[in-house]
Amino acid sequence: MITEEVGERDKCLDIFRPEPATLLRCRQMTRLEKWFQFRLDSGRALGHMPGQFVEVALAGIGEAPISVCSSPTRGDTFELVVRKVGNLTSALHELEPGEKVGIRGPFGSHFPVETEAVKGRNILFICGGIGLVPVRSAIQYVLDNRGDYGRIMILFGAKTPADRLFVEEMAEWQGTEDVTLLETVDRRDAHWTGVEGVITTLIPCIRFDAQETVAIVCGPPIMYRFVILELLERKLLPENIYVSLERRMRCGVGKCGHCQVNGIYVCQDGPVFSFAQVKDVEEAL
Amino acid sequence: MIKIVGKDALETWVDEVIARMRTYGVQAKGDHFSFESLRRAADLRLDYDVTILPPKKYLQPPRETLLRFSGAVEYESVFDEDPFVIFGIHPYDLEAILQMDAIFEKDQRDEHYLRRRSKAVLVACDVETVSENVFAGCMGTAYLESGFDILITKIDGGDYVVDIQTDAGRSIADSLKSAKDANKKALAARREVWNKNKARLRRHKLEVPLEELPALLEAGYEHPIWEERAQRCYSCGSCNLVCPTCYCFDVRDDVGWDLKHGVRARVWDGCLLAGFAEVAGGHNFRRNRADRYRHRYYRKGKYLPEMIGKTACVGCGRCITACTAKIANPVEVYNALLEEKDDH
Amino acid sequence: MSKPKVAIFDFACCEGCQLQIVNMEEEILDLLELVEPVEWREAMSDKSENYDIAIVEGAITRPEDEERLKKIRERAKVLIALGACATHGGINKLKNNFPEGEPERYVYGDAAGMPHLASGRVKAVDEVVPVDVKVFGCPIDNREFAAIVKSLVMGQKPFIPNYSVCVECKMKGNVCRYEYGEICLGPVIRAGCDARCPSKGAACYGCRGFVDDPNVNAAFDVMEKYGKTVEDLRSKLELFGSGQEYSDGKNG
Repeated sequence: MITEEVGERDKCLDIFRPEPATLLRCRQMTRLEKWFQFRLDSGRALGHMPGQFVEVALAGIGEAPISVCSSPTRGDTFELVVRKVGNLTSALHELEPGEKVGIRGPFGSHFPVETEAVKGRNILFICGGIGLVPVRSAIQYVLDNRGDYGRIMILFGAKTPADRLFVEEMAEWQGTEDVTLLETVDRRDAHWTGVEGVITTLIPCIRFDAQETVAIVCGPPIMYRFVILELLERKLLPENIYVSLERRMRCGVGKCGHCQVNGIYVCQDGPVFSFAQVKDVEEAL
Repeated sequence: MIKIVGKDALETWVDEVIARMRTYGVQAKGDHFSFESLRRAADLRLDYDVTILPPKKYLQPPRETLLRFSGAVEYESVFDEDPFVIFGIHPYDLEAILQMDAIFEKDQRDEHYLRRRSKAVLVACDVETVSENVFAGCMGTAYLESGFDILITKIDGGDYVVDIQTDAGRSIADSLKSAKDANKKALAARREVWNKNKARLRRHKLEVPLEELPALLEAGYEHPIWEERAQRCYSCGSCNLVCPTCYCFDVRDDVGWDLKHGVRARVWDGCLLAGFAEVAGGHNFRRNRADRYRHRYYRKGKYLPEMIGKTACVGCGRCITACTAKIANPVEVYNALLEEKDDH
Repeated sequence: MSKPKVAIFDFACCEGCQLQIVNMEEEILDLLELVEPVEWREAMSDKSENYDIAIVEGAITRPEDEERLKKIRERAKVLIALGACATHGGINKLKNNFPEGEPERYVYGDAAGMPHLASGRVKAVDEVVPVDVKVFGCPIDNREFAAIVKSLVMGQKPFIPNYSVCVECKMKGNVCRYEYGEICLGPVIRAGCDARCPSKGAACYGCRGFVDDPNVNAAFDVMEKYGKTVEDLRSKLELFGSGQEYSDGKNG
């Protein structure tokens, strides 16, 4: 039948057409952040790599780019953490399990955890706030392939103890042999007994062999400059520092122009870049 | 096939096309010219100087429905595959369309653009009247020898050389088959038009060889001109919106009264507009006017050339006319970068 | 889900924006599927103190109006300022350019002192109470109003453009009014009207108010290029721009 063929063709080819996914579980993590687990209705796995993002769509409201926070090694579901900042994200926070969203993607580059550039080396993860979201995918991936990597160091900074994400999972990581996890908060509260200060205060607390270490850095725009400066001083090579850039990735497919950083399309060339790739790109960091 | 016809035969043919399919063509609109639905060949004004908007508006409409939805995840792609003809595209605008083709084909194919484009028959025409601000002669777009389906050139003496190059062109030019083939003399006369246009479509003179533009921009990132000119920039986006090579868009949902049915549409956007690089939550990655102003000239002269291998300014001069603050002349900007370099 | 209850109130204005709602004609029925009007002087006789959305039209010019407006604000979950008088003070605000009492004396002569003519400085609604949504324009655009209502019912923040009239004007393929030597305020005025005046051959007179960061300084700079003076521009800006602030345009 011709009509069916056209129908199938449309589904495959329209880069703007979302496919349905069902919300399986969700949980409020902080005041603004909520965790969601989805499965594509087609039954296929999302097929992403750590650091990639999807465009989440709600009909009548629109779309927003959201990083995947789960590892492809963890089955055929995928997880997102959504900060409530706009119309779409506010509406997502209202969703109940069983309800559906549209998904396009996965899009963009990823943390190259599966490549020789990272395998066999120590990995230093440095995350500020919701910067932990895409990085968690990489952490899970690395832990699920533990033998492929050297030491694993995780530095996490939140604004306040109430803004910490994946608290239980971080406790698990902390308890894992060969994993070093250090945390700080910008402003402590009455119960916080840990470190207080910006994330860079944690970097001097760890030792690593700069030649054998790869850093994966993700956080708010202001964080990158200071963290990267510190890492370069510790003799990490620019090509061994990976960052993930946030931009307005409206279409996700390199057409709409909104996410452009000088000559680079963050949605296609990024969001993950090595520092070597972006250090001379004026608008990047 | 290349034919030569008189004005009457040309009009007869255009009327035949109009009778057969959706046809657009350049017409007078007040004291300006505009691409509009063409009802009769007599309205077609191949002697125009420049149109208010480029023919881009038929290939990437100002507002274009991408999807229809009828529930939370019930989406249906909307494609426009109804064939149409555009009469009277100047070579610089044709070059812009060829660049859009490259962009929408690149990497992830944009079927919404490409399917509409595949049904479009592009009838170009060489420039007869030089517009106020055109500088296509400096941009290598004063004439094109290919890329169109059909090219119409008015030659000395008043006849038209009609060059039919593609199957799409042949599909609407049946009735021209019996017309006289253009002889050597006619082709020489056309060459004459091309040479003349190359020389005269230079109301502004670019001093920079095109191939040196990316390097010139590379060196000029901190040039004071960006800040100086942006002081007078309204961020109104007029330069973007009239530009034949600007294709950036926003995506918006429009929902019906039942709050269930509706459409997802893309709408023209512009990198000069204040909110262009703003993300949800309010952080604006290009907050300063000067940064947005500079971005436009880099896109045209460096970023897009790096991506598609062509300078993404075709010299139509529309931005120069459209900018009420008179700061948008690309030739002035690029020449200023050159002067500064020579000073050092 | 029960329909949100809506009340419409008017202050100093011509009530033309409410009329725009009435002018939605058959779409009014669709609108009534979404919301339940409980008070609307121009269209119904009921009154109510129980509403979710208050739509306020008009500028605020008297102390008793301020009190009434504050009560409305207390009762409403969402307060919408409807039209130029409510969002900016509108044409009413021209009055603030003169010494207090002078406009009344000019218009009403000896009768200016009559108690029913007493009114003070003109304020926009948000100079008295917080406003959640502004529907700009003189009059409002009823398609934009419809989109705003739909967004609110869906719990969304409505889309209100923060770009200038030029965007919509260019999309419509209009010739710039400056090409005809007219001063058009389009470059600094918020879009959303579909460039209705320039599309009919008239320059924009700024009824929707400035975009968030209007480069008005640039406008003063370019007047010369069109053989106009700074005073020419100032007089244009006064009609709807009286009392509106604008930046020096140095930064984005």
